[in-house]
Amino acid sequence: MFRLPNIQLSKITVFLAILTWIGLLLVDLIRVFGTVNEIEVGLDSELTSILEIIFFILLYFFFSQSISRHQNDNFLHLIWRAASTGLIATGVAFSIVGLYVLMEDTALYSDPLLRNFFYHVNFALTSLFLISTALLWKHLILYQRNKGVVQQWQAFEIILLVSMFFMLFNKNNFYYGFFFGLTFLIIYSIILSANLKWIPYLTFKEKWKSILFLLIILICTVYLLLQIMDYNIKNPYIIDLIQNLFLLGLFAFVIIYSLFSLLVTLFNLPTSSVFEQKLVEAINFQRLSQSIQPGENEEQVLDILMDSCMSAAYVDGAWLEIMPKGFDPQEIVHQRFISDEERLDVRQIMGRTKPFSDHLGNEKNGKIEYIYGKIPHELYKSALVFPFRVNKKLLGNIFLVKEVKDGFNKEMINIISTFVGQASISVENYRLLNEAIVTERYKEELEIAQRVQRSLLPAELHYNNCFEIAGFSEAADEVGGDYYETYQFDSHNFALIIGDVSGKGTSAAFNMSQMKGIFHSLVQFGLPPKTFLIHANNALSRCLEKNHFITTTYYLLDTASKSIQFARAGHCPTLFYNAALGRSEFLKIKGMGLGMVRNQQYGNFIEEGMLSYAPRDVLVMYTDGIVEAKNQLSEEFGYDQLRIVLNQYNHLSAKEIKEVIIRKVYEFIGKETLPDDDYSLMVIKFIE
Amino acid sequence: MLEITLTKQESHTLIQLDGEVDASNSVELDQAIQEILAAGTKKILVDGSTLNYISSAGLGVFMSYLEDFQDKNIAFVIFGLNDKVQNVFHILGLDQLITIEANQHEALARIYGE
Repeated sequence: MFRLPNIQLSKITVFLAILTWIGLLLVDLIRVFGTVNEIEVGLDSELTSILEIIFFILLYFFFSQSISRHQNDNFLHLIWRAASTGLIATGVAFSIVGLYVLMEDTALYSDPLLRNFFYHVNFALTSLFLISTALLWKHLILYQRNKGVVQQWQAFEIILLVSMFFMLFNKNNFYYGFFFGLTFLIIYSIILSANLKWIPYLTFKEKWKSILFLLIILICTVYLLLQIMDYNIKNPYIIDLIQNLFLLGLFAFVIIYSLFSLLVTLFNLPTSSVFEQKLVEAINFQRLSQSIQPGENEEQVLDILMDSCMSAAYVDGAWLEIMPKGFDPQEIVHQRFISDEERLDVRQIMGRTKPFSDHLGNEKNGKIEYIYGKIPHELYKSALVFPFRVNKKLLGNIFLVKEVKDGFNKEMINIISTFVGQASISVENYRLLNEAIVTERYKEELEIAQRVQRSLLPAELHYNNCFEIAGFSEAADEVGGDYYETYQFDSHNFALIIGDVSGKGTSAAFNMSQMKGIFHSLVQFGLPPKTFLIHANNALSRCLEKNHFITTTYYLLDTASKSIQFARAGHCPTLFYNAALGRSEFLKIKGMGLGMVRNQQYGNFIEEGMLSYAPRDVLVMYTDGIVEAKNQLSEEFGYDQLRIVLNQYNHLSAKEIKEVIIRKVYEFIGKETLPDDDYSLMVIKFIE
Repeated sequence: MLEITLTKQESHTLIQLDGEVDASNSVELDQAIQEILAAGTKKILVDGSTLNYISSAGLGVFMSYLEDFQDKNIAFVIFGLNDKVQNVFHILGLDQLITIEANQHEALARIYGE
């Protein structure tokens, strides 16, 4: 939809332009006819001028539109457009001349009307050529536009517009004004011609082509100018369309700009390779700075780095030595254009030659940016060594050698230095990104482990109205290895378990969840505690890791008979407060941790215990984190303190007893100390 | 902090443990025992008189070599443990699996007496 009006508009413009030209032609033919035949035709030179002006404006409009549609074409294309237009105009002019040569002996030869007609044809084509070329030059001038240049051009267009109307207004001081105006236009054209910023962007080949096209344009323009002036001189009856400031101004502008462009392009030929080189370097720099994609590795960057360094300095041979990591030998990678023997040879020589010998042996020196110098090798005469550092650590050395002496100038060294710097940043970023990903993954794993650990602890503890129960667990790290749980067989029978896996953290939690699974499978069989532990040990011996073991105590509670059966698999001895005796004591029975004896002998190390309780008795189950809790002086909370606390607070409810024990432990370790093991506690107070 | 000193004497090797064994340095203890096994000793003595604390990681190291000692007929005796550490071994039941003596004299007697 957007395009249609434009095309319609340009079609209308073309139509109007042709109409105007025909009008101009007719008017002028009539005038000539009048002059030749001395008839008053009543048509003024003003009319001619006005039609000329309208013609110019329409052409200007048309080409403005037409060229802006193609403005994204490259420069060469634009120049070729101008050249081709010029060739057409010149061609036609030439053929007209040819025609007249053929017509020499005929009557038509001297017919002023015919001459006028061809004159107008030439005029139209010349104007077309000049205006279109001027507008093409506009695009070249405004290539790197800034406010100043845009204003310059806009002023120029206004001046050209004014000059169009010049002949209408200034009849008296015609020649002085005209001369002044033309000089002004010439000087302004020269000023505008300083905007040649498009030339360096041409490649070497394109520059040659441009020179050709510009030459064509120049020749055509000069020919057309001479041709049309020739008409004027040779034909007295001609209506002079040339004494027009606008057209002459355009002639001047097109010639001057073409000439300047031609000369500058010509003189830029020897240095064009430098600019192309700079473009290549800039592109390489951008390639180096692009962050390494996932799936690639640092090799890519090193590859690009070597390529860039080599092209920046036109080196004859290069390689990268990677520093040995640990016991790996030194690696040579990215060897270019140099054989192994030559490389070893050069390297050896460098090891003996200063300044290389000083620094190549002493890799720890982090301040050296590069080493450059001559080497007494038969083929390679100069060498440049760049250490490649990542995060201040030396990753390796880049070696560049050239066959000429003093092959590396300051410019090259600077560029290579920027490349190395950028590559180093890219590699650093890549490594940091990887670390961040690993950390992210670790955090995710931790979250999963925390969910596992939370599932280890019971949502609720089973009880009946014969006893109260309270539990507490606090992990040292983000994830803990403590575990406790209850199970209700029927209204009077319960199973209780508390356990502690060796170690802490994520792996401890995973080990402990195996224990939970084993508890849930075995508990339903209502096994006596010793049997339970033997089966649990069998299962764990097969699935627990080699260095790990689990301590646990398993209890069967019968509130009908008020008895507890229990067995201790290496766990801290249970604390029992006897209300009748008024004191607490540890239930010491023989035991062995689960996973420590992974054969049938295990049962021999376990004793089964039995105790009867009475109302107001208290049972405290805990893990070693509690008794081994250390304060700032590295003293342990200890078994005795636990016993004393229970003695003191046995009269409280289970919940309160639990809370007071925890409070005492935290008070003991003090606010400054962080717990370094998991704390878990289960308190049972018997009521009936 | 842990310092492990290995001394080869007559036909036994003495491991001296100075400080604390926890999760961060238990691997050193593991490596020390590996070295000794590789050397082919048949009698190992562990001096725990300057051992202040041992965590479950350290206990796990001892535990993991018990089968090796049994298979290779190696005599393994720990002596000089303080009350606290000895209690840890006892609660865990490790004292039923590893011979623990009060002092070096009795430990040597145990090893060479057999």
